[in-house]
Amino acid sequence: MLASGLVPLGCYSGLGGGGESAADGSATDGELESGGDETGPDGGSDEGGVDADFEPAPVRLRLLLARQYVSSVGDLLGDAAAEAVTPPDDVAINGFDAVGASQLSLSDGKVDAYEASARAAAQLADANLLSSYHACAPTGPSDDACLREFVTTFGRLAFRRTLITAELDSYTGLGLAAGVDLDDFDQGVRTVVAAMLQSPNFLYQVEVGEPGDIDGHRRLTGIEMATRLSFFMRDSTPDAALLDLAEAGGLDDADGVRDAAWTIVESTDARLALADFASEVYRLRELDTVPKDPEVFPTFSPELAASMEQETRSLVAHLAFDADGDFRELFDADYTFVDSRLATHYGLPNPEQYGETLTQVTLPPEQLRGGVFGHAGLLSVLGHVTTTSPTHRGKFIRQQVLCQDIPAPPVGVDTTLPPAADYQTMRERLEAHVTDPSCAGCHLLMDPLGLGLENYDGIGSFRTTENGAMIDASADVDGQPFAGAQQLGAIVKENPEATACLVRNMFRHATGHIELPTEMVEIDELVATFADGDHRMRAFLVELVASPAFRVVGEPG
Amino acid sequence: MLIKNPNRFTLGRRTMLRGMIGGASVALALPVLEAMLDSNGQAFAGGAGPARRMITWFWGNGVALNDPNNGGGGLRWTPAGEGAGYELTPQLQPFVNVKDYVSILSGFRVGAANPGRRGHHDGCVAFAGHPFVELPPNGANYASKFGGPTIDQVAAAAIGSQTYLPSVQLAVSKRIIGGEGPTLQFLSHQGPDLPLTQHFDPREAWNQLFGSFSVPDDPTKPHRIASLDAVKADVERLKMRVGTADRIRLDAHLASVEQIRSQIDALAPLCEIPPMTDQNNDDIEGQEQLEAVNRAMSDLIVMAFQCDVTRIASLQFTGSVGYTVFNTVGATAGHHDLTHDGGMNDMVDAATIFTMQQLAYLLEALHNATDVGGTLLDNSVLFATSDAASGLTHSTDDMPIVVAGGGGGALTHPGIHYRSPSGENTSDILLAVLKSVVPEATEVGSANGYSNTPLAALLA
Repeated sequence: MLASGLVPLGCYSGLGGGGESAADGSATDGELESGGDETGPDGGSDEGGVDADFEPAPVRLRLLLARQYVSSVGDLLGDAAAEAVTPPDDVAINGFDAVGASQLSLSDGKVDAYEASARAAAQLADANLLSSYHACAPTGPSDDACLREFVTTFGRLAFRRTLITAELDSYTGLGLAAGVDLDDFDQGVRTVVAAMLQSPNFLYQVEVGEPGDIDGHRRLTGIEMATRLSFFMRDSTPDAALLDLAEAGGLDDADGVRDAAWTIVESTDARLALADFASEVYRLRELDTVPKDPEVFPTFSPELAASMEQETRSLVAHLAFDADGDFRELFDADYTFVDSRLATHYGLPNPEQYGETLTQVTLPPEQLRGGVFGHAGLLSVLGHVTTTSPTHRGKFIRQQVLCQDIPAPPVGVDTTLPPAADYQTMRERLEAHVTDPSCAGCHLLMDPLGLGLENYDGIGSFRTTENGAMIDASADVDGQPFAGAQQLGAIVKENPEATACLVRNMFRHATGHIELPTEMVEIDELVATFADGDHRMRAFLVELVASPAFRVVGEPG
Repeated sequence: MLIKNPNRFTLGRRTMLRGMIGGASVALALPVLEAMLDSNGQAFAGGAGPARRMITWFWGNGVALNDPNNGGGGLRWTPAGEGAGYELTPQLQPFVNVKDYVSILSGFRVGAANPGRRGHHDGCVAFAGHPFVELPPNGANYASKFGGPTIDQVAAAAIGSQTYLPSVQLAVSKRIIGGEGPTLQFLSHQGPDLPLTQHFDPREAWNQLFGSFSVPDDPTKPHRIASLDAVKADVERLKMRVGTADRIRLDAHLASVEQIRSQIDALAPLCEIPPMTDQNNDDIEGQEQLEAVNRAMSDLIVMAFQCDVTRIASLQFTGSVGYTVFNTVGATAGHHDLTHDGGMNDMVDAATIFTMQQLAYLLEALHNATDVGGTLLDNSVLFATSDAASGLTHSTDDMPIVVAGGGGGALTHPGIHYRSPSGENTSDILLAVLKSVVPEATEVGSANGYSNTPLAALLA
């Protein structure tokens, strides 16, 4: 059945406590609301009204991201275990960790790291948590039945599904042999834990699905949905309640998924997961290694860099979960979050009043700051060692914020910039560069966006001069004039490409692949849903996971 | 720390005894030490030749080929003369103490880069001879993967099972690019989906090389092995449920599990384990410790070879498109930016000289370490190049290439400068390098990077 113009927004009045729509289109109890679409639930279609033209990408095994691995260990075994693990670093492909996790194989070194981490986690696992996985009191190291109970309960959580008999036998036998050999039931349990944490059933999101309504479609099963939902929305393994719900059929239709998602979206974990996504897309993780010249930028320090990352994460979490307003304010909010270090950095009065915790403040209007393009973290990551980089700043906005492709410099072209020493300002230097027609095409796409941000130096401090010359920060983006971060953000905010790109980036992260052209039909639906929901992120997260784009996959690849 | 006394790795009575008692479960080749040589000091009592070792060494963003202040004519990298009598240019001067072991190959083009598709990515493939796999961005970041294994991993597949670790991957500068896929980020690749993560912290590298041997009487050891067997059974079952591409990934996963299983099962090698290094790779006042980390990593390679923990190493000194700040030569811009600033050629030149000094440290350390029939440098081959001839053009013609070491007698000695008259394929060099370690090898690379013609000038 073809979806109408919208993924059924009228479906929120879900079963079992889902959102209820108010007739005037306002939200009640923080839940999204119909935009007036009268389409009812797609009662018959458990794919939630998938478009017949939708051809989903082949589904792939996806390795848990490092942060997901750590959180899962923490949820299963406690904080001490989580602190002891050192999973391999993620490897991004096309800019996304999740895409790398869906393509790359495990090398010797990675398996070695998982083996060491699994043993460390097992030895430091919280004893009370471990004993919560069995009701029986072990009679001794050879208590086969009690160990089997542990394997059954813990295994279901670790593998995110009920174990098959062969697995039960295998792990019970393993733990029993260790327990007897080491004369300690507990060591048997911990051996099982260490082994299960190395199993592909723990390390990968395994999604095979079952045949869907349309040829070539596979619908994720309930427990596969529980896993995908939990890892996407809270960066951790599904808990027992969510697995119970899934096994009872509670995630078999879009409304059930919405209900479950509304519960998750209220959690602290959901805030952290979205903030982690922001750190990834806005490259804030690079603040750890980005080099800044200590002579030119003596105030740049690891502590300040950490505060910068927190600023952007705070705005993202605030917009999505506290304000629950138009998430696109990310681009032009006239307020931000600072601690004393950032307050000093931004030249706010009495910076010491802010202390170590980030507080919401209004920015001095003369800095033309506002939104993420004025955040010191992004401006630092997109700057050089001693200078700004209008080109990098512009390229980032084109590529990561608008999802536009920027061609590489042609091979063999001399990409040398004119000597820096010959020019007082970055603008003069870049303008000399783009007099070369072979460079101009691409640079005129990128540079103007960054030139409008020239009042923020290489670490995002406000300035009006460069090498003694007044900075001209006037610029235009595709013909629209602007000066400063907030005006640029306001233009970007109204650009439908920015909203679509945000949705595409979330889809890439959520599914572990760059969208195929044949998937755009459902992604476009999501973009429309986002707009119809007034660009509120919490509700959009719920709609994203309930959509066919999230729930329906292609044949295993 | 330079290894002053190569005899420090002597057989202790205890380790010797342990080796004999535990002999049944030893999965390692025994290390080649003087204590075990025959009376001629040339080979095993059994008559086998000395172990051959391979190192691949990478630096990013090319070199300053010429001196633009001299009309572009002053040679800063390429020697003017050819053959064994070539004179070291300013950028090659750091090799003065090991020049007999250093060959410079110039005028070669990266065959696998033809047709050129993307600057830097095109140059990186010189280490494999396989064209890279492009991952269309479709509105996301450009990215690529290697099209096939790098030369060190071809060698590891052939001889890696003879040692505790098939190979080791090390890196010095942390200022590398992670946003364009595995081609730029990693030096060693077993295949398109199997880039090998490098150690940036010497302490972690020490731990992998020398700190992970299981203790023979560790009571948990049999259960660690049994755990991996349970994992293998799970992988086999999972393979039945997934598609073709994922089955290939799971086969790689299985092979890795098998390797780690054999490492747990192995006994410590019969050498004195060097003390753990205390060198970290943290920035100090925002600046990298390039020289100190390079020394520590180079020393680890030497010790690993002496101990025969592995025979294959790769070292990524700086990254492709890397933004290392060479502050010790006065640079205040990242390396990649430096190479694109027309006024900074002198600084690029200084950075190149600094980089070759770091490579020379490793060559001298190998030369100072005794081995069967000579030094470690005699029995090793090192292949070093960059991701472009010079950063400003991204050209992969006239690549700056260093091949060093005696290759266990397989390579020409003393070293030469050979300038290709016809823009020969860099894969011809790769094949000659590979043959010094794997004599039976007959080909490398694929498509335009394919070669079955080893560079004759390099072979003894």
